[in-house]
Amino acid sequence: MRLARLQQKPERAATSTGRTARQKPAPALAIPENSADGFFGIRFESIGGLGAHLAGHMLAQAGVLGQGLNGAHFSSYGSEKKGSPLKSFVRFCAADREIRTSSPIENPQVVAVFHEALTKSHDVTAGLSATGAAIMNTRSTPDEARQRLGLNAGTVAVVDALGIAVEEGSRVNTAMLGAVTQICGFIDPEAVRETIRQTLSHRYPNLVEANLRTFDRGYQEVRRKTYRAAAGTEPAAAEHVPPAFGYLDAPIGGAVLDPGNTIVKDLTASRQGFIPVFDSEACVHCGVCDLVCPDLCLVWEEEQQGDEGPAVRLRGIDYRYCKGCLKCSEACPTEAMVSMREEEGYADDHRVALYAWLEPPRFESGVTRGTSDGSR
Amino acid sequence: MVQAQEKKPRQAAAQVSDFKSGNEMAALSAKQINFHVMGYYPITPSTEIAELLDQMKADGEHQIAMIPADGEHGAAGLCYGASTGGGRVFNATSSQGLLYSLEQLPVQSATRFPMVLDLVTRSVNGPLNIRGDHSDLYFTLNTGWIILLAREPQAVYDMNIIAVRLGERPEVRLPVIVAYDGFFTSHQSRRVNYFEDDQTVQEFIGPMTEALTALDPRHPVTIGPYMNDPDLINNKYQLKLAMEAAQLAVPKVFAEYAAISGRHYAPVDLYCMEDADVAVLLLNSAAETAKDVADRLREQGVRAGVVSPNVIRPFPAQELRDALRNVRALVIGERADAYGAHGGNITHEVKSALKEDPENQTLCLTRIYGLGGKDFYDEDAEHFFGLALAAADSGRVDEPFDYHGVTPGDPTMAPAKLGLPPLRKEETVTGLIKVHVDEDGDGLRVEAPPAWQLVTRAKRFAPGHGACPGCGIFPALDQFFKGIEGDVVVLYQTGCAMVVTTGYPYSSHRVTYIHNLFQNGASTLGGLVEMFHERLRRGELPSGEEITFVMVTGDGGMDIGMGAAIGAALRNHHMIIVEYDNQGYMNTGSQLSYSTPLGHLTSTSHVGAAQTGKAFHHKDTPQIMAATNIPYVFTAVEGFPDDLLIKAAKSQWYARHLGMAYCKVLISCPLNWRSEDKTGTDVVQAAVDCSFFPLYEIERGITRITYDPDELGRRIPARSWLEMMGKTKHLIKPENKAELDAFEAEVNRRWERLKAMHESPLL
Repeated sequence: MRLARLQQKPERAATSTGRTARQKPAPALAIPENSADGFFGIRFESIGGLGAHLAGHMLAQAGVLGQGLNGAHFSSYGSEKKGSPLKSFVRFCAADREIRTSSPIENPQVVAVFHEALTKSHDVTAGLSATGAAIMNTRSTPDEARQRLGLNAGTVAVVDALGIAVEEGSRVNTAMLGAVTQICGFIDPEAVRETIRQTLSHRYPNLVEANLRTFDRGYQEVRRKTYRAAAGTEPAAAEHVPPAFGYLDAPIGGAVLDPGNTIVKDLTASRQGFIPVFDSEACVHCGVCDLVCPDLCLVWEEEQQGDEGPAVRLRGIDYRYCKGCLKCSEACPTEAMVSMREEEGYADDHRVALYAWLEPPRFESGVTRGTSDGSR
Repeated sequence: MVQAQEKKPRQAAAQVSDFKSGNEMAALSAKQINFHVMGYYPITPSTEIAELLDQMKADGEHQIAMIPADGEHGAAGLCYGASTGGGRVFNATSSQGLLYSLEQLPVQSATRFPMVLDLVTRSVNGPLNIRGDHSDLYFTLNTGWIILLAREPQAVYDMNIIAVRLGERPEVRLPVIVAYDGFFTSHQSRRVNYFEDDQTVQEFIGPMTEALTALDPRHPVTIGPYMNDPDLINNKYQLKLAMEAAQLAVPKVFAEYAAISGRHYAPVDLYCMEDADVAVLLLNSAAETAKDVADRLREQGVRAGVVSPNVIRPFPAQELRDALRNVRALVIGERADAYGAHGGNITHEVKSALKEDPENQTLCLTRIYGLGGKDFYDEDAEHFFGLALAAADSGRVDEPFDYHGVTPGDPTMAPAKLGLPPLRKEETVTGLIKVHVDEDGDGLRVEAPPAWQLVTRAKRFAPGHGACPGCGIFPALDQFFKGIEGDVVVLYQTGCAMVVTTGYPYSSHRVTYIHNLFQNGASTLGGLVEMFHERLRRGELPSGEEITFVMVTGDGGMDIGMGAAIGAALRNHHMIIVEYDNQGYMNTGSQLSYSTPLGHLTSTSHVGAAQTGKAFHHKDTPQIMAATNIPYVFTAVEGFPDDLLIKAAKSQWYARHLGMAYCKVLISCPLNWRSEDKTGTDVVQAAVDCSFFPLYEIERGITRITYDPDELGRRIPARSWLEMMGKTKHLIKPENKAELDAFEAEVNRRWERLKAMHESPLL
């Protein structure tokens, strides 16, 4: 029986060697338990491929094995691929409390946004506590970040995790881990450093030092600012978005009767910093880019040319669907497609729409629950 | 084994504290048990177990023979065969994989060979869903296996060790399933403990003593004779007796395990049940959530409790009767339905158990919840307790069986159609591609513009799919479809292309699309082709209607679905199979496929001190398909679009006139090949130039190489291709020269043989 098991815990501890698999516990700092359920919840908002899952695991492991806290870690799973939105969750509580729930964290104390572009299409701070903190990987100031996050009250922290990662030859995840450790306050940075060392030393020993430097810089370079709630405003609560169809109106058998309706999606957030730029002057309209593009995002038009039949002309790129793989620029024989570090607003200003009638991409809110985007 | 069981269990053994997920704990227990053989086939969310064990194997941490099967049916067969050899056997699967292997389960139990199967529970298709419910688990209830449940990562470890000792007891001798929740438990890391020394586990399970073995020629034995009545019923009665023996053994083995671990399990986990008025009964992780809610209700003075079996075969009927004797109302939450049965399977078993207690007055309600991995939050448990309280207060049950958590939707507010209009007939035909029969009548000549001139032709799929950046699937498919004129109906087998184009309620497909599980796509499309022709013949479809039927599959689908593909080829249905080969099971996270070349790194062919990537050569699927004597077979890559276009046009002609065409397109998977997103075209081009992937066609038995890098002076060594990918960079190192040499030798052998075939119409 469970109660009996609980009572046995101290006894079990006495019979074990007291050794942990990885490291010795450091004295635990007090966890600020200010959420309704008594857990300190941390949610990472990222896209597949940035290492958010690993960062979440290292953070939780540092707290549990390094500091003797109780903790749990898991990530959202679906059919998502690299470049698709992903969440990772860490729960902490005092060592003597059991963690039983396996559900996602809807009201976190800390949200860490690994990928700034997500703020355009997803309500990344959904359910964030009014006394909580949002940390964003950005070159912006806290004021700008706050505006982008649409956050009313709480702490906004910014860190140029991408810049640090590029300079240190590592990845954004350890820079974000540094920033999160700083902002949480009760996580011992030494415990996290030790976890990074142990996690990487087996497979990637040559990456340990760069990642530790990245972590330290994230820890030191994060900048924060706290905002008080304007009178009469409430923080946005986590929202469960209902599915597009219910059992009364879903076509039977799970069929989709709307061909090609993925065109309403916006894949902008899949790009990781680079974008192809089209130079129509240099283009010879050879079509090679289209033959290698995985995302069908090039916009063509036909021109009648006398008896020779239609000639095809490339008009531009629909950045709504471009994931920034740059195969087009690699294939282009004339430098009409070149790679550029994506600047804020460039894609919106230079996008050529494939489907002019489509509304702008919709904002997906309350995405804590469920397997995929519920908006339609 | 007898000795081990007679032996007094050791004192509490030294343990290590750690932070691990359910799948990590399963792999760790398997490593410490050191099974002889694991036969497996990757399926989410159980795949990690084999991946982690393969990693440990590469690092020399255990000696389990890890056998990647051609499908779960094959994996179950491997396991059955291995278990008849008298050693310890392990398997792990989920969902469809379990169902595909289901027929093997009663064989394993009725012939009485113990083994352990970890069932990481997941919803059963269709529609395809990868997340956790119990619809797969319920299919195992009648298989004659012991079924242990593990509600959290710690229990996954414990139950796996318990399973070995329990199943091998001489009076039991049954295979054991350890079932735990996909993702909720399999992918959630928690604080855990495990034995510091593998020897502790070894001593607990003891040496295996086989009752029968197929590996002793001095004692021949016939395993699995043909058995009619009146004998079969006696065989089944033995199975029933074994289950009864297991019922008695379960508490004993739990107690023995508690003695060394300090962790106590009972057949039914009871939380606050001593004086409970109301209770919920749930299996696995959801029960843990309900305990938190029970705590809060108790603070409010409600006598709430949670009942959750740790074992469901044998079913702990007596323990449940005892626990529920004074409970006024019970809500049974079930993560799977037994459609049409007015309650899930567990409901009926609980009610049946209570029926045998004439004094029991418990009101029972059933709610189906959490299907397809729908999360179970505190508020859901609160709702269940609320239902139980209402029933207890009123003394009656208004709605004994219902679903919890469904959305009605609003039929008056049908979502707007936001996709693309159906392709008009004239959009599907360019009129620019013409196929002529050669004058001698045994070949085809294609007249087509260069592929780039067709960039404005309507595509068969729309943008907005969720593939990874740089994915090679879509350029290859688009180039193929550029060569196909007229209407098409496609069938995509399970795999990346299917998953990223059809996440409900979206579809990237502009043409009619069907999915079926990848062990059976070719049969399915074959059936549709035959229906098309039969309805045409009966005049039920417009006369002259032409549809080209195309099956799209990955190389994984051509492993597990090889039998169906060969069957369809031998029947020579008028259809085209397009295989996009990215050399692995990329949809489930890059496990080896039979098309993965020798030495390549995948998540089930790790590189370490004891292992150098994949152990055997890549499958030559075009030659296998050619051996069925279908009229047309070809290979292609995206870097040669005109070659692909012409071959696609030919394949359509053959599918219309002579039967099946098969095509393998090598495509890059930057994520799992560990190459840059932008380099995909170059990488597959290099695979062609090193003659690893020759471009050729076999047209009515005549082989023709369509691009010869030797002749054109473009031949590069295989290592130049391997250098372009992170998954093969280890093969360039001097210490792996043997593997590299063996790979290059095989590539050359196949290339030279192909050239000989090209030279001779007889080969």
